[in-house]
Amino acid sequence: MNLQVVYCTHHGTDLTLREKLAFSDEQTARAYDHLRNEFPDSEFVVLSTCNRVELYTAQESAKNVPTHQQLAEFFAEFHKVPREELFDDLLERTGPDAVRHLFSVAAGIDSMVVGEPQIVAQVREAYATARDHRASGPLANAMFERALKVGKRIRTETGLSEGRISIASVAVGDFGKSIFDRFDDKRVLVIGAGEMAEETLRYLHAEGVRDVVVTNRSIERAKMLAGQWGGTTAPFDQLDELLGQADIIVSTTGASRPIVSCERFQEVRRQGDPKEVFILDLGAPRDFDPAIGEVDDNVFLYCIDDLEATCDQNRKVRKKEIAAAQRIIDEETDEFMQAVYHRATGPIIRNLREKWNEISQLELERLFGKLPDLNQEDRDHLEQCFNRMVNKLLHPPLEVLREEAREGTPHGLMDALKRLFHLRD
Amino acid sequence: MLGEINLEKVGISCFFLSYLVAFAFEVTRLIKKSRTSRALMLLFAVAGLCAHTIFLLVRSRAADLPPLVGSQLDWMLVLAWLMVLFFLVYSLLDESSALGIFFLPLVLLIVGSTYFVGQEPRAVMEGQHSLKMAHAALLVFGISGVVIGFVIGLMYLVQHRRLKRKHGQAGGLSMPSLAKLARWNRLSVMLSFPLLTAGMLTGVGLGLYSQRTPEPVQLLDPVILSYGVVWLVMAVLFGWLLRAKPTAGKQVAWLTIWGSGFLLLTMIGLQVLNMDSWHS
Repeated sequence: MNLQVVYCTHHGTDLTLREKLAFSDEQTARAYDHLRNEFPDSEFVVLSTCNRVELYTAQESAKNVPTHQQLAEFFAEFHKVPREELFDDLLERTGPDAVRHLFSVAAGIDSMVVGEPQIVAQVREAYATARDHRASGPLANAMFERALKVGKRIRTETGLSEGRISIASVAVGDFGKSIFDRFDDKRVLVIGAGEMAEETLRYLHAEGVRDVVVTNRSIERAKMLAGQWGGTTAPFDQLDELLGQADIIVSTTGASRPIVSCERFQEVRRQGDPKEVFILDLGAPRDFDPAIGEVDDNVFLYCIDDLEATCDQNRKVRKKEIAAAQRIIDEETDEFMQAVYHRATGPIIRNLREKWNEISQLELERLFGKLPDLNQEDRDHLEQCFNRMVNKLLHPPLEVLREEAREGTPHGLMDALKRLFHLRD
Repeated sequence: MLGEINLEKVGISCFFLSYLVAFAFEVTRLIKKSRTSRALMLLFAVAGLCAHTIFLLVRSRAADLPPLVGSQLDWMLVLAWLMVLFFLVYSLLDESSALGIFFLPLVLLIVGSTYFVGQEPRAVMEGQHSLKMAHAALLVFGISGVVIGFVIGLMYLVQHRRLKRKHGQAGGLSMPSLAKLARWNRLSVMLSFPLLTAGMLTGVGLGLYSQRTPEPVQLLDPVILSYGVVWLVMAVLFGWLLRAKPTAGKQVAWLTIWGSGFLLLTMIGLQVLNMDSWHS
């Protein structure tokens, strides 16, 4: 049994090379055609995401197994990248190490954001694509199906995916949802139209926010962002009025000084409804004076640093769970490899058993021919006796074979059995 | 017969310890999210509630009186029973709720304080059975509402403090949003005050009726007077709530805690002091 992965990831390869080696859907289909022609005995699965490009190979026989060098050459030719440029970055793992690597990837341990959930869908999709193109076979299928189960088990049994770790998800999930019960009746005011505002709006929209007002010095950018989320725009000089109406304020202006002073906000509160207001100051430097958070009991102000502190805390919690996840991966890898090795001995065992059963049947028929007066009961006894004898004779060699298969495919023993009992492949 | 003998062996310590263990498992969930801890917490809480129910039923049958009017001990245990029931139903609906952290210590306090109150069935005034039951039931439901309000107020303040201090959610437990807690807080006072008032009125009715019996109730009884003061405090809170803005969540929480805390202290204090009173 030959399992192998040739790969490059965000750990050691820069984005420029990863982008060159990545496979689009159309390229993946062509790659499978190419690989099948080149290595007809092998099974393949390509996993290509923004953080990794991995090519898994699996093959039952030892003949014509693609080597690391051959696969590197395939990458170089396929993507038209000089071999010297990629060879040092393309790492290789074989046997249990390749399996362990795949299980770690599926669990999210190898991801840039430890425990992120998207990788499971990406592994599942890569596996489905390989199956659709008939590039994978029994061995690769078993490995990927097991990897998906391992990923699920780790997410259930450890805290690897617990806690939010992006600024926007922490802002909405940890703080916004702790203030408000529902979001569909809330007005969101977006000041500025930066990327962070867009990401935060995505989370707020998922929670049900529908009433979005964007105000920005550049009205074009404001219109674009408002249009994306079904919102409206408002002139920047109406900021005080807008501040008084909003339940949630997301600010990302990038101004060099705070645009809302404490006095200005106090005046807004005095004139308006002192309802709960959730302010996300995502500007750096800050857009809101930090003292605004203490204006009254219903003002909840969070800046980037506050949210980042929670993200860091959650990342630490996830990192603590890596050891527990690693233990599960080791255990699952051992079990999987034992099953793989055992599977390799299957044809030999089947051949041996069939051959000896055939001999015992022939001898029985000869015996029944010489003793035609035997009744059915005696015949059954004799048949059982022969079967027992075959099983008892087979037991020691098969037990030894099974024992040996725990550590790896027992090629020597399998060859010896083939030669001793004249077994064919 | 054998079953009855075994059931009679169920004592207060059985369910007190069950609730204590359930609370310990709930505390472990503060540190880390764990399905096992939750399952064990629920298991011990349900076991405690079963033992609690059996204890009340056995005592009720022995005294031939409903638990609400049996003795001070029975009345307080019914109050704790209602609180555990509320807690269990809510915990089953919300997997990550931190309600037990706030609720179970109060249950333990009430159950624990029954060690100091009279266990003997009290002499019950003849007649007006329905009115007596209504009086005890209205008061126990009203006080349950107040206790729930106390817990919710406490949760509001803890949640508010966390949000103001900008701390992320820790461990495997979470609390409802401020908006939800404020709504529940208001609702608990709005519902419990009319129940307490109705309980007080039925009590006054019973007091007046007793004047025609050989053992008339002293209307200046210290326990009755204390409950009267508590009712007045709750009336003030209720009146203030009717006029308060919905955004005054933190003030509502503080006032509920003060009001219901005063009621709880008075109730437990009077029962523990075991004052020489018609109610004692």
